[in-house]
Amino acid sequence: MRVPLGWLRDYVELPADPGAVAQMLALVGFPVAAIETRPIITGVIAGRIAELGKHPNADRLQVGRIDVGDGAPLTIATAATNVSAGQTIAVATIGARLPKLTIERRKMRGLESEGMMISADELALPAEWFEDGIMQFEESLRPGTDVVEYFRLSEAVLDVEVTSNRVDAMSVIGLARELAAYQNVPLRAPDLSNPGNGAGGPKAEVTIESPDCRRFVSQIFTGVTSGPSPAWMRIRLALAGQRPINRLVDISNYVMLETAQPLHFYDAAKIPNHHLIVRDAREGERFVALDGSEHELTPQALVIASETSAECLAGLMGARSSEVTAATTQLILESANFSGPRIRRTAGQLGFRTEASSRHEKSLAPALTAIGAARAAQLLAQSGATPHEPAAFGQPLSLAAPIDFKISDVKRILGYELEPQEITERLDGLGFKVEPLAGGVLRVVSPAWRTDVTSSADVIEEIARMAGYDRISSEIPAVRAHEIASGDYRRERKAAATLAALGYREIVTYSLHGAQVYEKIRRAGLEPPARPVEVLNPLSEEQRYLRHSLGPAMVTHLARANGPARAFEIGHVFYSEDRQPLETAMAFFAFSAEPVDEPEWRDSNFLRAKGDCEAFLRAMTGESSFEIAADEREGFHPGKTGVVLMGGREIAVVGHVDPRLLRTFEARLPIYACRMILSSLPPYDVPQFKPPSKFPSTYRDLALVCDIDLPAQRLENALRSAAGAWCTAVRAFDEYRGSQVPAGKKSIAIRLTLQKPDSTITDAEADALVEKAVAALRSQFDVTLRA
Amino acid sequence: MHVDEHLEQLRARFEDALKNSAGASSLDAVRVAFLGRSGEVTALRRSIGKLPPAERPAAGQRINEAVEKMERALNDAQASAQALAVGASLSQRIDVTFPSIPPQQGSIHPMKRVMHDVCAYFERHGFAVVIGPEIEPDYYNFDALNIPPDHPAREGFDSFFLTPNLLLRPHTSPMQIRTMQQHRPPVAVVVPGTCYRRDAVDARHLYQFNQCEGLLIDEGVHMGHLKGMLTGMCRELFGSEQQVRFRPSYFPFTEPSAEVDTTCPLCRGAGGECRMCGGSGWIELGGAGMVHPNVLRNVDYDPEIYSGWAFGFGVERMALVRYDVDDIRRFFENDDAFLEQLA
Repeated sequence: MRVPLGWLRDYVELPADPGAVAQMLALVGFPVAAIETRPIITGVIAGRIAELGKHPNADRLQVGRIDVGDGAPLTIATAATNVSAGQTIAVATIGARLPKLTIERRKMRGLESEGMMISADELALPAEWFEDGIMQFEESLRPGTDVVEYFRLSEAVLDVEVTSNRVDAMSVIGLARELAAYQNVPLRAPDLSNPGNGAGGPKAEVTIESPDCRRFVSQIFTGVTSGPSPAWMRIRLALAGQRPINRLVDISNYVMLETAQPLHFYDAAKIPNHHLIVRDAREGERFVALDGSEHELTPQALVIASETSAECLAGLMGARSSEVTAATTQLILESANFSGPRIRRTAGQLGFRTEASSRHEKSLAPALTAIGAARAAQLLAQSGATPHEPAAFGQPLSLAAPIDFKISDVKRILGYELEPQEITERLDGLGFKVEPLAGGVLRVVSPAWRTDVTSSADVIEEIARMAGYDRISSEIPAVRAHEIASGDYRRERKAAATLAALGYREIVTYSLHGAQVYEKIRRAGLEPPARPVEVLNPLSEEQRYLRHSLGPAMVTHLARANGPARAFEIGHVFYSEDRQPLETAMAFFAFSAEPVDEPEWRDSNFLRAKGDCEAFLRAMTGESSFEIAADEREGFHPGKTGVVLMGGREIAVVGHVDPRLLRTFEARLPIYACRMILSSLPPYDVPQFKPPSKFPSTYRDLALVCDIDLPAQRLENALRSAAGAWCTAVRAFDEYRGSQVPAGKKSIAIRLTLQKPDSTITDAEADALVEKAVAALRSQFDVTLRA
Repeated sequence: MHVDEHLEQLRARFEDALKNSAGASSLDAVRVAFLGRSGEVTALRRSIGKLPPAERPAAGQRINEAVEKMERALNDAQASAQALAVGASLSQRIDVTFPSIPPQQGSIHPMKRVMHDVCAYFERHGFAVVIGPEIEPDYYNFDALNIPPDHPAREGFDSFFLTPNLLLRPHTSPMQIRTMQQHRPPVAVVVPGTCYRRDAVDARHLYQFNQCEGLLIDEGVHMGHLKGMLTGMCRELFGSEQQVRFRPSYFPFTEPSAEVDTTCPLCRGAGGECRMCGGSGWIELGGAGMVHPNVLRNVDYDPEIYSGWAFGFGVERMALVRYDVDDIRRFFENDDAFLEQLA
């Protein structure tokens, strides 16, 4: 909200420095987003045009004798055409500083001009919102008055942020009250009594057919005249960002900015029987608003109608049909209160928001209706209109329910003590009524304009704000023991630390992506997920889907690197089950590598990926060996992929990324990846120490010729179980395929390490064991020892 | 031939071999050839058996003496060979300024490191770290947090919906409710995690971001405890001189509510032309406050007995300030230079 500081100063004493005011507002909960300082303008005074005549030497210039209050009229020439004798205008005297120029004594076509008649633009006001030509003032402004000082044109404008619970403070008086209470100085509120009270006269009847209109104050004014508003009001509205229109519209805007209560004026002549009806709009009802916008309504919208047609879209804007015009002589004022959600829904549905709706939708206090009407009546009366008796309809105003507030709660919640005296003073400054009860309790009643304070906690916040949040001390709490565990987080943190230690760099990517990911999968000849999780209201097509895998972003990331790279990500992936969107925490690591020159049946980069996978799983589970079986998985190479099972559950997939995907994702190098479902990992099982034998071990290397499809791990397992307890390690370390072995066969070199716990193993014992193991192998597989 | 003659020849061959050997490894070969299990001395010992029994002890004696001499000679030669090798090594001179061979090193993402540091700080003070789902029903996101339907504050959480009542969480606060539903006080947790809001992306805003939530509920917990813990956290993250300032604010789930600022670490609160804080001397961290009594009632905690606080800060924002990063989008771009510099 734009708040001209000069307007605020009318109602509360404030420090001169706008920064200090902004700071104070921030400290009571209204941060100032920007301080708009005004240009320095000096030497501009009000002048009355005593005489006006043609310039002797120029047809397009006029020359005026301007009374500036000191008995020595100034002779000033002007090219403006909106001037005439008797007007009170803005005059920049010799030496005056304007935003773009300094006024000097100069000759205009041979005639000395002792200053300049100036326009709104020269006073740094939006020229298009003011009269074309010289700025006009009321006759009541005494010649010689310093214009900048009088209209507070040098005062900054603050852009104040008001939280949604404080719609009462979306107003100059509301903010002034906060600042007055905080500084403990009086609020100089304008007269808020309605001059129409007791006046009798005509009334406008209001029939309320919807519970969403809680209160409606109507008031008739006669003897209304139109024309421009006084300069002070036009200047204030302009500084606050409201375009001045005419005396009547300006008053309704001015009162809203000052009190937070939006108003609407109807031309009474256009409202048959002066009868207004608040009702739901009819399906398809057409409505042309004041701004010319046309709307087709549904019963969702609330309207204020005459007996024949809708004349106001409640809380949003009036209708063009009953708009006040230059011809208006009588008007009906509406100061009404509506249900906030109803107005917000209507505004959202129509895509139509106004200054009024931004206040109504936050649920104003019903009591503000009388305040808004009274302020408007004051201003209308000042403009010469006759106020008649206001009439109120709707729910009666009730006092807020009292809050019995324990003084000890201040200490309990804020951590410091306050004397009841100070509490009472602080609340009093904000308009609360405070009455001490027995037992350290204060009975607190909210002021009528506040609806946000309904409980003890709310009262404490009011006290804290006024006492200053800086009074809150800094203390480290002694947290009592509890049983909440950090398991899932620790697993994620450990996974990250382990992968970083294995040389992978952590990345964080977006969970939302567009259809182009599926397009790349399709171009690879593969199927994207059948039921992806889709966002109903994406910001753009690039953010429509939730990722089903960490793979696409990882491959994209690695493909972007100049050379081989290693990365990991830990994050959630999403899928649908029975139309329910679900998610799983995954860890995904991958590297890209230059291809190795090796036979097509070997891929040492795969073995590196597998090694990292095993090292990772060992760190996470405490297990030191894993069963990894060849299998096929979406996204991975059908012949270069292994699946790790633990306790019957699949916990990891490791392999070469499907080369078809690498092509469509434009990865230059082969990529090897491993994905793990973090929640499937068994909890860490602490390994138990077994003292190693003190006696030396020996080993035997075997070259076994077997079927080409026999996995090395099966040979290892068979050898290990046949060799028995003295066999401490079995490991395949080489493989050969080719002309040296029969077709359909391969040769695998395996080292058996043998060791006895209680003595040195002899050559004879070792040889016997190996012989037994090989015999067992022969009986299980078609295996021969290679010479 | 007599044993002595054999010994004499053996010794001559040994000395030749010794003389011709260079370095420790060839000395080992000499030792094996002469003194090894199937070396020349073993062969000579075997030949003693052919001598008349009376001569055998003396012959054995002489062989042993010769072996001792050979061993001494070998050991001496080995010692001097080692001394020579050490000497040679000592005289080597290399260029230590030549670039290193780097290890294959991974790294933790800078945003995650800040997240871990925040969690570690709270863990040290007795907090548990809990994480939760990113898809949450509106009950946990809003209703249970004192934001009923039609509440104007829902607009501040412009969310991505997956079904009419399931959404990507716009904050980590749903875990406050889940945690309190499962545990009785005391409750002391921090909740790190990914959140989503329909915000237009620019140098300061992301539609996907990470938040770190804190929650402490017990008897006697007050707002000073919040300030104390947050001051400690800021000192851990940004430097030992950090101050924390509270400003009143409004969140439906806390009352009183505060915006939390910390001293700008770049200008150290001096303000002026500071590009990080825009001259205010303060950096906004996020929202905090005392948990609203209605929120406590929603999980069957008695607000007359228990009180507590909560906060929720953006992790990327804290990382942006900590590492003086110019654009928040960098935290999701994974540019190698960025990750490398902040590794």
